[in-house]
Amino acid sequence: MIDFKIHQRDSEDVSVIELKGYLDAHTAPDLETAFQKLITENKFNIVVNCRDLSYISSAGLGVFMAYVEDIRKNKGDIKLTNMTPKVYNVFDLLGFPILYEIYKDEQEAVVRFHEPKK
Amino acid sequence: MMNSSSIKRFALLVIPAILIPLVFTFDVIRSAVEFDNASSTILREIFVIGSFTLIGLYIEKRRSSMQHNAPREIGRVFFAVLISLFILAVSTVIQPHQVSGGNSFRIHQSALVLLASTLVTLVLGVLTLYLLFVIHDLVLFKRRKTTWRYYIIYLLLLFAACAADFPSLLPEENILASIFFSLAMLFIVVNSFKQNWIMYLSRREKKYSIIYSILLFIGLVLMDIYLVSGSASNNALIAYSRPLHTFIRLNAFFGTIYFGVTFISTLFHLPTAEVFERKQSELISLHNLSRLVTQVFDFNDLLNTVTQMTSEVCGARSVWLELFSMDENSGEMTVEVAAKRNISQEDIDLLAADDGTQLQRYLMDSHKALLIEDLWSDRRTKHLKKSGFARGSLLTVPLLSHGKLIGVLHATKDFQNAFDQDDIDVMTTFADHVSIAIENSRLISKSIERERLHQEMMVAQRMQKRLLPQSLPDLPEAEFAAVSESSLEVGGDYYDLIALPDDRIGIVVGDVSGKGVSAAFYMAEVKGIVMTLSKICKTPHQLLSRANDTLMETLEKNMFISAIYGVLDVRNATLTMARAGHCPVIYISRQSAELIRSTGIGLGLTGRDQFEKATEERTIHLQPGDICIFYTDGITESRNADMEEYGYDRLVEIAKTCTGCTVHEMKEKILQSVRTFIGLGTYNDDVTLIVLKWNGTR
Repeated sequence: MIDFKIHQRDSEDVSVIELKGYLDAHTAPDLETAFQKLITENKFNIVVNCRDLSYISSAGLGVFMAYVEDIRKNKGDIKLTNMTPKVYNVFDLLGFPILYEIYKDEQEAVVRFHEPKK
Repeated sequence: MMNSSSIKRFALLVIPAILIPLVFTFDVIRSAVEFDNASSTILREIFVIGSFTLIGLYIEKRRSSMQHNAPREIGRVFFAVLISLFILAVSTVIQPHQVSGGNSFRIHQSALVLLASTLVTLVLGVLTLYLLFVIHDLVLFKRRKTTWRYYIIYLLLLFAACAADFPSLLPEENILASIFFSLAMLFIVVNSFKQNWIMYLSRREKKYSIIYSILLFIGLVLMDIYLVSGSASNNALIAYSRPLHTFIRLNAFFGTIYFGVTFISTLFHLPTAEVFERKQSELISLHNLSRLVTQVFDFNDLLNTVTQMTSEVCGARSVWLELFSMDENSGEMTVEVAAKRNISQEDIDLLAADDGTQLQRYLMDSHKALLIEDLWSDRRTKHLKKSGFARGSLLTVPLLSHGKLIGVLHATKDFQNAFDQDDIDVMTTFADHVSIAIENSRLISKSIERERLHQEMMVAQRMQKRLLPQSLPDLPEAEFAAVSESSLEVGGDYYDLIALPDDRIGIVVGDVSGKGVSAAFYMAEVKGIVMTLSKICKTPHQLLSRANDTLMETLEKNMFISAIYGVLDVRNATLTMARAGHCPVIYISRQSAELIRSTGIGLGLTGRDQFEKATEERTIHLQPGDICIFYTDGITESRNADMEEYGYDRLVEIAKTCTGCTVHEMKEKILQSVRTFIGLGTYNDDVTLIVLKWNGTR
């Protein structure tokens, strides 16, 4: 069983979550816990770094959908970065690029949080 | 009606009934005419011995069909001896004359005297046969190899001693007869120590056994005195048949010694009777318990039996059994008195009150039996003295299941220091049985529940299969093949082929995120939505947009549905499709193989505006031989043992190799290829596949 790991680090007012391994129905609850924790800590500026994410299933995508509404209501956002082409393909197929800001580079996403909101 | 065995038994009596009077008649004639020759004497002896052998067989047959109870049997023998003694006394009175020993009948004898000696012989013969059978049963109780051997040796010596006395065989009073007789006496003593049966008697039976064995011993001693005396009656007996007399004498001695030993051993066994009885009742209780443990449906019955047995076997004043159950959410423990005997709930509460909680804590920590020798002075229970709880001792044993305390069994006795190690052992064993029964019943109810759920799932599976098309459109212009398999009992994949007006066919494939029951519910909803909208909406774009509106309201936040909807226009040879986040259709024409990746977004992810903007429609103009493959990600995302994905390329490649096949062959080839790729095991996800081949308009 290839496992799934979440590593979180905070830089100023932006929280970065690094995902590693396989995100599917079995591991999705781990990510849910991580999001839940950020929300209770009032950390709504979230960057999800997918550099080491090997696979994401529909259940994994569902986790983002479950929390994004709350986070956006609190003037925050989930931005996704550093996706491998394979993972990007899954997001793209479902039309996620319409719903989420996806960046090549983590720093780019962090900077976006500091730009004045339109 | 008599059956054959009773006829046989009857014959056993009839023959002696003829022979003995015959011998008597012979005796009367012989004494009257003083006729005597060797061959007639031998014949007479054979008749006598034969008669008694048959009587012996008869007694043996009768006895084997009866239930034996040793003390009662001894009592019966005693009464038989008493009657025989009476008859002997009478015969001694009516035979006052001295009759010389030996087989000489030269003295004139009256018929009455001859009749008396015949009768006495008959009575003593039957009695000693009966006695021998009784001893036989007792000696061979719980037989061992040596027991059997010694008993057989005695029988052989007995018959040898009798045979040595057979007339004309050997001279009278020969040394051989004396040797056999003495050896037989030796083995009588050896066999008399086989008294195993006494141990298994209850206390009451032992008392009976003592009384009857001493009475029988005295009776037999009297008989022995008669048999060795020189009384006229005894001499007549010897005169009647020497071998028979030897037989009677030896067996009477055997009985005397055997029951003498019985009397003494029973006397010595009397003090241990209680311990033995207790062990026996423990065994019986455990046997009953083991039986009950397997009958989990009588769970309350089991608990009541356990408390009852505890009170009987340990002689406890009161017994009660408490079961603990842990609330999984709050972690709080509740105690329920599941069975009680001779104690009120108030008293149980009294014990648990105040310092009584210490008892529970002790059991929780130690998981060992707890013995309080004096309820009034032990520091853990001394509060009971004030509250009026009766004085005595308390024994509490834990019920353990997988190392967890699930309950306790309590017993109290009226006196201090009343419990011994045996009580602790027995109650621990009882408690273990209860634990096993509880564990059993939990497992069984679990498995019943699992079976029920499984049945429900099977029903759901059948229902879901009915939601998929039962038949495919049959057209000359196009061929269809379709399959949908769930990785679990039910799944979230959906496909349909819908006949629309104006020679059009709606083709839909959907995939609810996730698997199993939740996905299956939404799949059914999607079917309803698509069936309704397909009749109303003109274009695939419109249908998906309306479907999105409905699903936005009903889907959970973290759920969404990817779908593709296409309309095959048979008249115009076109396929118009829109994709809502679903896997792109593979389109194989003569020139190329491509993925029709129009833009789009999954259903239930965003509102109407964004959805409609994102979703585009694509139309393909079909040429004869063109193939379109609709599928779900269960195919492309199938993984092998190395976690490698099947992917689009493999799917396109396998489809390209098969353009000449029928749609069914192509469907099978694709599925086969996926299964081969996965290797061992089943599909990771629900798998759906539709193959469409365009033959051209007519």
